[in-house]
Amino acid sequence: MSVRKITIEPVTRIEGHARVTIHLNEDGKVKETFFHVDEFRGLEKFSEGRPYFEMPQITQRICGICPVSHHLAAAKTCDAVAGAEPPRPAKLLRELMHMGQFVQSHGMHFFHLAAPDLVFGFDADPATRNVFGIVKANPELALKAVNLRRYGQQVIERLGAKRVHPYFAVAGGVCAPLKPADRDAIAAELETMVGYAKVAVGIGKDWLGSNRELADSFAAFPTNYMGMVDSEGGLALYDGEIRMRDSEGKSLGQFRPADYLEYVAEHVESWSFLKFPYYRKLGWPRGVYRVGPLGRLNVADKIGTPMADAEFKLFKKLRGGKPVEGSLYYHYARLIELVYALERIGQLLEDPDILSNDVRAYGPAKPVGHGVGIVEAPRGTLFHDYDTDANGLLTRVNLIVATGNNNWAMHTSAGSVAAAFVDGNKLTEGMLNRVEAAIRCYDPCLSCSTHAIGKMPLEVTLLGPDGTVLDRISR
Amino acid sequence: MPETLIIGYGNPDRADDGVAYHVVNRLRRALGRDTLPPGETGLEALGCEPDSVFLQQLVPELMETAAAYRRLVFVDAHVEGIADELVFQPVDEEFVLSPFTHHLTPGAFLALTGALYGRAPAGFLVSIRGQDFDFHRELSAGTRALVEPAVQRILGVLGSGVEQNP
Repeated sequence: MSVRKITIEPVTRIEGHARVTIHLNEDGKVKETFFHVDEFRGLEKFSEGRPYFEMPQITQRICGICPVSHHLAAAKTCDAVAGAEPPRPAKLLRELMHMGQFVQSHGMHFFHLAAPDLVFGFDADPATRNVFGIVKANPELALKAVNLRRYGQQVIERLGAKRVHPYFAVAGGVCAPLKPADRDAIAAELETMVGYAKVAVGIGKDWLGSNRELADSFAAFPTNYMGMVDSEGGLALYDGEIRMRDSEGKSLGQFRPADYLEYVAEHVESWSFLKFPYYRKLGWPRGVYRVGPLGRLNVADKIGTPMADAEFKLFKKLRGGKPVEGSLYYHYARLIELVYALERIGQLLEDPDILSNDVRAYGPAKPVGHGVGIVEAPRGTLFHDYDTDANGLLTRVNLIVATGNNNWAMHTSAGSVAAAFVDGNKLTEGMLNRVEAAIRCYDPCLSCSTHAIGKMPLEVTLLGPDGTVLDRISR
Repeated sequence: MPETLIIGYGNPDRADDGVAYHVVNRLRRALGRDTLPPGETGLEALGCEPDSVFLQQLVPELMETAAAYRRLVFVDAHVEGIADELVFQPVDEEFVLSPFTHHLTPGAFLALTGALYGRAPAGFLVSIRGQDFDFHRELSAGTRALVEPAVQRILGVLGSGVEQNP
């Protein structure tokens, strides 16, 4: 039987360059769907031969919007390569910057990406179903979003001197301590920002409460889950061990970051440049997993701040303690983490070590030669792994980024939603928007470091049985 | 009310994508000002006429600052799909569906500024053809040759009043 094909290119409002291709059969029904990532970054190869200690500066150039995660993962890897364990105050300051990143990234994602679909509906006119529609409908809400982003960026800037591409974390610690005036400035606005985050949680919960059936079924499928936890099994974003759970919530094990290659492997498909990581012990494809807010909350036992933990308990009740599978719940999980990040900023600012000048340690003159560093980026688990020669020049670099970890999940989500909602015989914009919305749940970041005028990031294409392009969304 | 804010944006680590950085600094020199110190955007020292900044990209938190000006001049690179090597054109407030989480076009930036802060400055776009978007900080020869003409055109725009925007 011949097949028709739909390509969505670009998927709107995601970071980077990719395509969704929906193949139809002769009856106009979805036969199969592919999520392709066409961009080849080459940053791992490009870094070889560079001094390892440049990596916190080099790798954050992967992205101009969320560079802090790469900056910190690289710094943690450099700690290991240098054999220099950062003092506690340096770890606190790194985590503080990380929380600033979460606030700006999660806050902006919800208001800019998720809210238009939730507030106006998937079938609303795309001319209003966007952030501008949100501004028109509720300018006060939009200002809250802008202020959350500004606040998160200011946390980063006060620590790293720059909002984008900070110079802050180095092997063995950070460049400079936190000034009391900067601590006070961050603290002064915190309560207001927590209030804004609670407004967002309210919007998200109201929508989920009114659309429970859709939320439970939209791109819902069993997978394994991965996320970082602290020594008590609580949510951890900066440091901890990596925990895996299966679709029933059963533990698949927990491992130290340095051992990740024993647990994670990558599968390659010819139709995408982005690899498909999986849990090695279960093999491909049984070992596929999801990361990011949903993955983290599905593997964690608790959250270490009061308001976020109260929401977490409600989240856990959604499936009686079993992992939550519906991809739209990524939005709820993301909002819970937004509250956590703000509360955690408060905890960090009150820590007696936060103003300490003891922010840098030094290792032996010769580097250890190998290191792994993992953080939870806003979008999911981020792995950095470096080898160096005796002079500290990089001989191998392996990066597994959050969006890569969710590659299979995004591919499957697009296919699931296309099969449920796309009808090639009476195609509507709302149908394809649902496919895009499924991918947006994961807040993917495929590469946003170039954005020249005229360059489009992703498309959705509908192809007929004979390969003819029937429709294309490219905005 | 301050008159003009020049907003260059792009990624200097991706070759021609960062051409606006070179335009902004060449312009500052032409106006007798210091170039942007390493790591600074220009937002640290506003209050000149015109003010000029360089950012990785247009971001929502810039809107409050931008709303205080009568005119914004956006400077960016463009890709080969646009015929002209240099584009000089007014920018209207226009929200277009953004393909990126945080990606804003100049028109969307103006529209959101107006909606959020009650007024949008007049907008003008200067974009320069980029040819090389690889991982390095050098401009291609073709794009480098367009920097000075772009600067001269901006200086011409600055010599006119807001009402005379071409």
